[in-house]
Amino acid sequence: MRNAEAPERIPFWRNVKTIGILAQVVFAALVLIGIAILWTNVTSALSRSNLPADFGFLDSRAGIPIAERPIPYSPDDPYWRALVIGVLNTLKVSLVGVVLASVLGVGIGVSRLSANWLLRQIATWYVEILRNTPLAVQIIFWYTAVLATLPPTITAPLRLPGGVYLSNRGLAFPFAYPGFGFRAWLPWLIAALVAYVVVMAVQRRRIARADRPGRAWPWAVAAAVALAGVGYYAASFASDPPETLAVDLNVERGRGITFRDLDADGSRDRDEPAVGFVPVTVRVEEGVLEARSQNLVEQRRVKPSTLRFPILEEGEYASAELRFVNEADAERYEVHWIDEPTTGRLYVDRNGNGAWDAGEEVGEDGVGFRNVRTQLVVTGFERRVVSDRDGQVRIPGFEPVDAAEEEAAAGGAGFGPASLFTAPGGADGDDEAAGPALETSTVIGSSGPLVWSTPTVPVSNYAGGFSFTPSYLALLLALVIYTSSFIAEIVRGGIQAVPKGQTEAAKALGLSSGQTFGLIVFPQAVRIILPPMISQYLNLTKNSSLGPLAAYGEIFAISTIVANQTGASVPVTLLIIVSYLAISFAFAFVLNIVNARMAIVER
Amino acid sequence: MEMIPDRLPPARERGAPAWLRRNLFHGPVNSVVSLLVGFVLLSAVSSLVRWTLTGAAWAPIWSNMKLLAVYRYPADLLWRPVVALGVILLLLGLGAGLSKRAGKGVIVGGVFWWFTGATFVITALAIAFWPSVRLPWAIASGMALAGYGAGLRVPALVRIQAWSWAVGLPVVLILLYGLGGEGPMEVVRTTEWGGFLLTLVLAGVGIAVSFPLGILLALGRRSDLPAIKWFCIGVIELVRGAPLITWLFIASLMVPLLLDVSPDSIPALARALVAITLFSSAYMAENVRGGLQSVPSGQGEAARALGLSGWQTTRLIVLPQALRAVIPAIVGQAIGLFKDTSLVFIVGLFDFFEIGRKVIPSQPDSLQYAGGVLLEVSLFMAAVYWFFSYRMSMASRQLEKELGVGER
Repeated sequence: MRNAEAPERIPFWRNVKTIGILAQVVFAALVLIGIAILWTNVTSALSRSNLPADFGFLDSRAGIPIAERPIPYSPDDPYWRALVIGVLNTLKVSLVGVVLASVLGVGIGVSRLSANWLLRQIATWYVEILRNTPLAVQIIFWYTAVLATLPPTITAPLRLPGGVYLSNRGLAFPFAYPGFGFRAWLPWLIAALVAYVVVMAVQRRRIARADRPGRAWPWAVAAAVALAGVGYYAASFASDPPETLAVDLNVERGRGITFRDLDADGSRDRDEPAVGFVPVTVRVEEGVLEARSQNLVEQRRVKPSTLRFPILEEGEYASAELRFVNEADAERYEVHWIDEPTTGRLYVDRNGNGAWDAGEEVGEDGVGFRNVRTQLVVTGFERRVVSDRDGQVRIPGFEPVDAAEEEAAAGGAGFGPASLFTAPGGADGDDEAAGPALETSTVIGSSGPLVWSTPTVPVSNYAGGFSFTPSYLALLLALVIYTSSFIAEIVRGGIQAVPKGQTEAAKALGLSSGQTFGLIVFPQAVRIILPPMISQYLNLTKNSSLGPLAAYGEIFAISTIVANQTGASVPVTLLIIVSYLAISFAFAFVLNIVNARMAIVER
Repeated sequence: MEMIPDRLPPARERGAPAWLRRNLFHGPVNSVVSLLVGFVLLSAVSSLVRWTLTGAAWAPIWSNMKLLAVYRYPADLLWRPVVALGVILLLLGLGAGLSKRAGKGVIVGGVFWWFTGATFVITALAIAFWPSVRLPWAIASGMALAGYGAGLRVPALVRIQAWSWAVGLPVVLILLYGLGGEGPMEVVRTTEWGGFLLTLVLAGVGIAVSFPLGILLALGRRSDLPAIKWFCIGVIELVRGAPLITWLFIASLMVPLLLDVSPDSIPALARALVAITLFSSAYMAENVRGGLQSVPSGQGEAARALGLSGWQTTRLIVLPQALRAVIPAIVGQAIGLFKDTSLVFIVGLFDFFEIGRKVIPSQPDSLQYAGGVLLEVSLFMAAVYWFFSYRMSMASRQLEKELGVGER
């Protein structure tokens, strides 16, 4: 028993408090000394190697081409803008990925508990296989092995219903953009938003006063939609194209620009601003597309003697006729259309049956016919294209028929029959400007406040619509599938953690199995699922840093390029860490608010 | 009141038809799902099998096995990594035999036989096709069996089990790196290491070093002293905030600067290990913290009441219970690290993944194939990574069940 009157004084070197403070002082001193040593090392190394140690380099020209840019960007922009694009790309892939991974993960997780044995087994093996394979391997699988080879090259993409294209250039689908009539609609949209808020408040009060169950949002949404719809109708009357709007199109190069033609001379001058999202109907009365036969590698197969012209959809042209530039070729080869008039295959009709047979597309030596020049004479080409954000318009590059014939004659010099193709009074081929012009017309169409832009394939890449690059698709696919296998396990665990009595009680009350799951089990499981799910969301976001494997320009990929170009390792290091901490923190902050609202209120 | 006459119990359905009805054709919806899924699965599997057997180009992988396994490790010294593997199998086999003898060896034994089985298969392949490594592989297989047999026969070995690992792991590293001089033990610099050997070294060293570091960080995080506590929290959260690939990149840039030496004087392997260990320690710390929190505070209090010092309480009472509870999580982390080693291409190392991704597809022989061979290579790599990860994750789940984690 301790003597309460005369407590024995503990010597200070044995006092726990003193020891604690001492230990902390020593520890802090050690840490500070360590940091100081490293700091002097870094500064001396930097001064010796003459590398930039501050953020001054951020304002100089980046010169980094980035395929995936959510905001306007060109290689002439400074480094900081390239880095901002990186952050936006990271957000773009991780936000979409989080949503898709949740949907897929919940589906797989529920399937793991299905009564159907087959479904259960498939879901189990899905999880076991994908969870235990590195994400890096999965990314290169989707990117290099599948997306880059499976769908055919750009002029023969898979055409999905609804104007959707899928090819090794990515996925393109129709999209509505705000056109020049959007400004007339804007007041109506604001009015609709106000109406939503007002009706919501009024309805809430009414429901509260009536003290009966009811929903406020249907009325509010109906009011907002009605107002916006009326506004759209009204605004579409007032949205004829402005007088000064013009398009400057070079049909032979297949590119043009929509702009505000201030001096009304028809061509774009330096100070005339480009206007985006303008619908233009281009009509070419008669023109020629050129193609040479190639041995293409597609879907991991060699496709010999293939002819590829830009895609012409049904109804876009009146007639399309193929001819050979050299007369000798015309006598030797036949064309077997795979997809008239876009994709065909040259063959030599050796057995003379007038049709292509397997093996006839290669010569006796087994090699395809390469570099055979052909032309497609197209009449009555008409296409509605919508210029992109920067006002750029793209169509297939047509050549005038006569000039093409002139060229054909030159190409076939020495052959008598070729001279037959020379057009009477044909211009000399040296001066293109003086040559026969294409008979073309461009009309700027009127549209509602929103311009419906469908993707087209003018030459080698998509124009119009909205497209995802193969890099983005591959990274997204890999992240979603990989993360969904982890989410599926969380979901399964969460559902199994709901006490069995809950299900039994719901069944006893007469709920169907669908109702039992949707109304009783799942809402309770969500509360168990959410916290581990949040950490999976953060993992997905951090895993998006594997973007370089799919050539996707997210923050890490761009930072490494910046560091390699400038040598500014210390500033870039800091920027990377700060970016990821900020993104993780923002994600965690939002998700934790959601979690707090969903969590079980402990009584 | 009328009595219902007695009836026989409903006949228990048995046999294949009953099983099918119960599991696949239980109601119309279920039947449709079964048929649909079955059809899709069957066509997918059949086309995959057809492609694997006839369409796929496996020759580049088969002819590059040495590259995939060890990269540029000298061909005449190949016996060293193989025998090093034998040492590890010997130690594993010892553990498996001992725990089998003690009657609880399902988990360790399962892992051991899974890996030993793979070794047997490779030994058979070596005997058939690779004459230069025949003997080493046979020795490795023999060492695995010897370890298992010794563990099964001599239970007294349980006392030296921990020490055998302490001796065995340095032996493994010496075998891989060499002792110096000319001849059989000449030094093989780490720039020559690569392939699956490097993947295993990175994962093994990463876990082994980050384990004690992680425990220290976790204890520091729970410390009463604010300076230590906040330092540990700062380190853990900072490291966990950014992905591993960025730490690898940062390490490759910053380690030479931090030590103020020329970039060439620090091998890429060292930089990769710094990043991997740092990263793994932070995650390990969080796992261990979970274990520490699961130990009831009464345990520590009781230990202090018995007169144990703070250090003794931690070492003898709290940590053993905490670590026991988080073994599954640590195994899970080891799997994660094993998969994450595929990112070391960022520091310029040629691990298993990088050889499959960069080296093999760019060889002239591989370029002969239309569309390249990356599809085959990525499937092969996926299968190899899966083989190891899957067995470990199975073990982790069995452990979880055995320890009763999640049932409290």
